[in-house]
Amino acid sequence: MSTNNQQAGQSVDQSTHFEVERFLVQEARALDEERFDDWLGGMLTKDIIYQLPTQEVRYRKDKKVLGNSQTTYLYNDNFGMLSMRVARLDTGIVWAEDPRVRNRRIISNIDAHWADVDGEIEVRSAFVLFRSRMQRDQATHYGIRMDRLRKEDGQWKLASRVITLDQRVVLDKNIHCFF
Amino acid sequence: MKSINKLVQQDGAIQDRSIFWDEDIYQKEMEEIFARCWLFLTHESIIPDDGDYQATTMGEDSVVVARQNDGSIKAFVNSCTHRGNAVCFSDGGNAKAFTCPYHGWVFGMDGSLVDVPLEKQAYHNEIDKDALHLKKVRVESYKGFVFGTFDEDAPSLKDYLGGMAWYMDSFMDVPGGCELIGPPMKSILDCNWKNPTENFIGDGYHVGWAHASALEISGGPLAVAKGNAVYDAETSGLQVTVPEGHGFGIIWEAAAALHPGPVQEAYQKWIDERSPVVREKMDEHREKFYRGHWDAAIFPNCSFLYGTNTFKMWQPRGPHSIEVFTWTLVEKEMPEELKQMIHTDNMLTFGTAGILESDDGENMEQCTQSNKGYSTRQGTLYIGMGQGHEYLDPELPGLVSKGWVNEAPQRGMYRRWAEFMEGKPWSELSTTAQLEQKK
Repeated sequence: MSTNNQQAGQSVDQSTHFEVERFLVQEARALDEERFDDWLGGMLTKDIIYQLPTQEVRYRKDKKVLGNSQTTYLYNDNFGMLSMRVARLDTGIVWAEDPRVRNRRIISNIDAHWADVDGEIEVRSAFVLFRSRMQRDQATHYGIRMDRLRKEDGQWKLASRVITLDQRVVLDKNIHCFF
Repeated sequence: MKSINKLVQQDGAIQDRSIFWDEDIYQKEMEEIFARCWLFLTHESIIPDDGDYQATTMGEDSVVVARQNDGSIKAFVNSCTHRGNAVCFSDGGNAKAFTCPYHGWVFGMDGSLVDVPLEKQAYHNEIDKDALHLKKVRVESYKGFVFGTFDEDAPSLKDYLGGMAWYMDSFMDVPGGCELIGPPMKSILDCNWKNPTENFIGDGYHVGWAHASALEISGGPLAVAKGNAVYDAETSGLQVTVPEGHGFGIIWEAAAALHPGPVQEAYQKWIDERSPVVREKMDEHREKFYRGHWDAAIFPNCSFLYGTNTFKMWQPRGPHSIEVFTWTLVEKEMPEELKQMIHTDNMLTFGTAGILESDDGENMEQCTQSNKGYSTRQGTLYIGMGQGHEYLDPELPGLVSKGWVNEAPQRGMYRRWAEFMEGKPWSELSTTAQLEQKK
């Protein structure tokens, strides 16, 4: 229900901000702890769009789109594709994840505004994801996420996420980890 | 460095582990292989207009490839002839010239030096600008795929591809040809560049095991390969190696097989509609190759999976590191919607976050890194599967083996590696043409 203090673009109130922050922290924890079914089943809407566009290094003034080039994505997933990824991780035969990869997510700079759809929230947050594998294998990823949250059955859920990864060359052997 | 005939033995089946680790061998590869071979640069469809360019590397040499105002494509080394600074810092774009940020020398899109600041006052108009052209790269295209070489003595790109060109025509020479969707993803692997090339050129063996988890959840026709449960060498496919060092394995009737449900249906429909066109334009063999799924490599460091349609360059960054560039391969005349579906699937399977790509990375790295151990490195590695069972087929170029699980293309790749590393002139390197004469 739209009220004056829920106008699109306005910062959310303090108690809503607290809910948003709790959601993002709990989501990060679920992913850190590999509780993927909790994430998929309890924290995402069924119409989720989950995207990570390819970073490109271009001169500031050169805006030309080259040939057939377009925004390419490292992730351009819907709920079904995210489910496939989780189902694969659940097979128990993903050799690259056994021994497990230790992922640690730090979420910060949370900035939440009411979206242009009643009751939905746009959240911008910065992230750092530390990945530790095997004995001393380390990778660090950082960037921002533009999220849209929607309340379903009294729970905030993630309805879309667009991830900006700052690195052009991804300094990791894969990023099969959720951001 | 040991002699080449010690580094690669038994017709390519045995490699000394040092070739995956030693710095002096790597530097020799840069000289004998990467400074001589035709290396993939870009696709014509990515730089269609005057002034469009892409930056890439040939070995570790930074180069720019640019469309000229006469429609031709030229490439040059991205290093100012004054003090060596780079003149281009972007992935690509459109430009009229490159200006070195150090002293302001200006180079045209053909690499020629067109302007130097203070030419009259400080150089007294005596600077020979023609002689200060950026180092040129020889460029040729095959069916829209643009390659470059530093070797003026190299044969034509078509001859370099040898028998592989005949096979690749199956999809490259369809009406309208192919295109690549970019900009490419880029990531790193701490492995030697040969590990992923040999994986793509012929390692069907790892598919059922390394990718078991992805095969299990993809549920497509290839799911039967999980854990090597089902495999028939007689009927499943072929492997091919050509003397030029390129090669591939093919699974019959499986081009669309790794795509999930709806995409597989749409892609299969496209293949079924196009097959008669391929047969008519080429022949029944190429129609069959058009309908199969390929794992393939163009020597030394370009790889692709036709069908899944991932297209990759393994850019060497020292003996134990590479950068991976990944594009999506599609046919130009495909409906836009189908191109997008294939592209999205390529990201899901063999992109940087891909469910199959991430299976391979750890294997590639450890295959290289284990050779760090001095005593480990004194040993050799073995790819003798199916050796002696290759045959000459009256109608197919190169050496053919039955089944897509084999190691013949890897052996062919290492035979070629050895020929180059021995420093042989082009006239003494093996060719498909010579092999054809044995038939």
